Amino acid sequence: MSAKVYKLADGVDGLFVKNERFNTTSVSFNFYLPLKKATAAEYALLPFILTTCGAEYPDFSRLNYKLNKLYGARLDATAEKTGDYQLLKMRISVIDDRFTFESESLLKQAINMLLSLVFSPKTENGAFCETDLAREKRKAIEHINGEKSEKRIYAKNRLIEEMYKDEAYGIPKCGTVEDVEKITGESLFAAWRDMLETAYVRIIIIGAALPARLFDDISHNFTDCKRHNITDCANSKPTAFLSEPVTVTEKMPVQQGKLVMGFSAEMIGDDSVTLPLMVMTDIFGGGPYSRLFSNVREKMSLCYYCSASSVRIKGLLTVESGVESQNADKTEKAVIEQLDAVKKGEFSDFEFESSLKSIKDSLSTYNDSQNSLDAWYSVKAYNKELYSPEDIAEKLAEITRDDVIKAADGVKLHTVYKLLPQEGK
Amino acid sequence: MQKQYFESTIGESYVKAVHPSGLKIYILEKSQYSSAYAIFGTKYGSIDNCFLVNGEETRVPEGIAHFLEHKLFESEDGDAFTKYAETGAYANAFTSFDRTCYLFSCSDRFYDNLQILLDFVQSPYFTAQTVQKEQGIIGQEIKMYDDSPGWRVMFNMLLAMYKNHPVRIDIAGTVESISEIDDKLLYKCYNTFYNPSNMFICIAGNVNTEKVLAQINASIKETAPLEITRVDSEEPDCILKPFAEQKLSVAQPLFCFGYKETVKIPERTVKEKICTSLLLEIIAGEASPLYKKLVNEGLINDEFSTEYFTGRGYSCTIFEGESSDPHRVADEIKAEVERLKADGIDKKLFSAVRCAMYGDAIRIFNSTEAIAMQLVGCAMSDSDLFDEIKYLKTVTADDVFKRLMLLDNEKTVLSVVKPNGD
Repeated sequence: MSAKVYKLADGVDGLFVKNERFNTTSVSFNFYLPLKKATAAEYALLPFILTTCGAEYPDFSRLNYKLNKLYGARLDATAEKTGDYQLLKMRISVIDDRFTFESESLLKQAINMLLSLVFSPKTENGAFCETDLAREKRKAIEHINGEKSEKRIYAKNRLIEEMYKDEAYGIPKCGTVEDVEKITGESLFAAWRDMLETAYVRIIIIGAALPARLFDDISHNFTDCKRHNITDCANSKPTAFLSEPVTVTEKMPVQQGKLVMGFSAEMIGDDSVTLPLMVMTDIFGGGPYSRLFSNVREKMSLCYYCSASSVRIKGLLTVESGVESQNADKTEKAVIEQLDAVKKGEFSDFEFESSLKSIKDSLSTYNDSQNSLDAWYSVKAYNKELYSPEDIAEKLAEITRDDVIKAADGVKLHTVYKLLPQEGK
Repeated sequence: MQKQYFESTIGESYVKAVHPSGLKIYILEKSQYSSAYAIFGTKYGSIDNCFLVNGEETRVPEGIAHFLEHKLFESEDGDAFTKYAETGAYANAFTSFDRTCYLFSCSDRFYDNLQILLDFVQSPYFTAQTVQKEQGIIGQEIKMYDDSPGWRVMFNMLLAMYKNHPVRIDIAGTVESISEIDDKLLYKCYNTFYNPSNMFICIAGNVNTEKVLAQINASIKETAPLEITRVDSEEPDCILKPFAEQKLSVAQPLFCFGYKETVKIPERTVKEKICTSLLLEIIAGEASPLYKKLVNEGLINDEFSTEYFTGRGYSCTIFEGESSDPHRVADEIKAEVERLKADGIDKKLFSAVRCAMYGDAIRIFNSTEAIAMQLVGCAMSDSDLFDEIKYLKTVTADDVFKRLMLLDNEKTVLSVVKPNGD
């Protein structure tokens, strides 16, 4: 479903996706800022502190009580990476008024709550309050440390860190523990002002009707912000090509090893130019028809999972697998062999067609999910044109086998990261 | 086929049909949607590890239901994934404690996909060779879970809570137990539990009910209904041990704290499940005084959650998360349970969490996947999809208080996974 775009202020777009099939309405604020070592932790903390308390809702427990009263309205915060940018999301979704016990007006209350939380934080003398800050910093640090506990996530994060040393994309999406520790009430307040003044902002509404006066209210809120140096989130730096790939091996007391491989891709950019790479990644390591699933898992019985994904805006392709220590090299070799096969065009018409059908089918399910639509229109802010899932499905029809081979041909191994079990454990 | 129509005040309706074989079929049409979600399942999971075949007791290796799920995708005429690749559907399967489900979702060629599902689930094909190949793949799946702190902390709790009930067994079994599985055993399990009388089909989305029913009717193989006798071990009311601990490569301790419930009849009713879920929100939900205290004292973070975990012959209420001091968290929960027993339930909080749960029940109807999964729940417990919405309109704080009185601080288990200091 296409989104209708409204210009609300300098660098502030309102997107309305009209969709009458849901029982809920979703409203999200998305702020895009450059990913930098100095600010990553502060920016990432903002959506969380802003959605746990505010000037109008000083106590998080009362705020949660209010959300319960709004029939379990969901108030979510996330900080993600999209290319060399941070995407800070604050989103509320609420069931339609017609379902309430006493015809209450939930949507209006939910929207007012979100606006109040984003624009009127709980602060004192130009600083966030100490107790709130301490609580959110602790949670952020525990979250960052927690990612080390899940080895699949940890291994992928380590690969990215190794591939993009001293580059924006190598900075963890929520910063480091040390960076979080340095945050003060004042520095976070400055970061909040920065977010309102310099971020590219996209507000996404998905529901049956555009709530009355919502966009006017938002425009009005932004008139008090001195908008300047607005982030252009379409300038991610390409992944470098190495003359010799690097291998990094770490040992830990684990049962299963992890093999993660990072590749640089020549085909880089937004959806207007990189769809062949999307199809190539899928044929290589997408569904059960893919080369990696059918060969490395099914024929060679080496692993439970072995799959590929790509970040096309960065020209990055990754392969992840969980393997026995003694099979790590064998698996790595098998992955390279399958990539070479795709490069040589040694994939069948069946594999090519299966991949196109699978991608098209999943694109058609986007309109059945508010979460998917919200993610679609927020993550793809780097696209110069605003494509709907249907637009992309249409473009896919033009892709040929040769386009896929060309995309594969520009893929070169950059770094291999192995997490292996310590011997004797 | 017998058919029953169910309607709700929220503008949704569905059909339940029973095929002469005993197969139950649930269909909820969503004509505005582009996609549909279908599940073909059986009441057969990891806990069904002992049963009678021709009057003879058969005990099967741990993890065999899950193993069977992996192997069923292969039929004599090729594997189901290849057939789905032809249509573009997303296909998958899962095995839990008490069920195995095969599913697909698609926005095109629904009836072709349904035929693939109907055919492969009814066409087992196991050979010594294909069984052996799968042992390597599942062996890696098991090892992946061995490294998952969230999975381990939960199973360690079940191991300490249950002495005999097979819910204590890991769903995928162990590398050793799956090495005992062969094609003959797989056929024995298949022929027992994949009888249509023990199975269900649940569909939600853009489909035509009559067309679906006709297709299913024409595709279900004629099989005589089978009375399945599961042999359940006697489970004492008490726990096995109150504390379990394991060291893993984690940054901070994970905990899983549970109350064992005495189970007199195998299944809990919809009312009991709803009341217990409301109770968990009142004890430790995000708007509760205890949650506020635990967060403010730095004892829990956003990973904290609660669950009413129940199935045939087992029931427990679970609090889990990450904490620098899991023992303190467990003590605080116990103290809050005692306080609530003495002071009663805060009526305002009850009213708020009831609203929230009602909203959650409405929200389910946004997603064909969520609806299909709920319908599986209905098939498992023979309940109506709209029971929850109906009951939430009338439930009282007193109903919830009765569930509170079942929580016994003498029957708790704390499981902790702590850092190994690497």
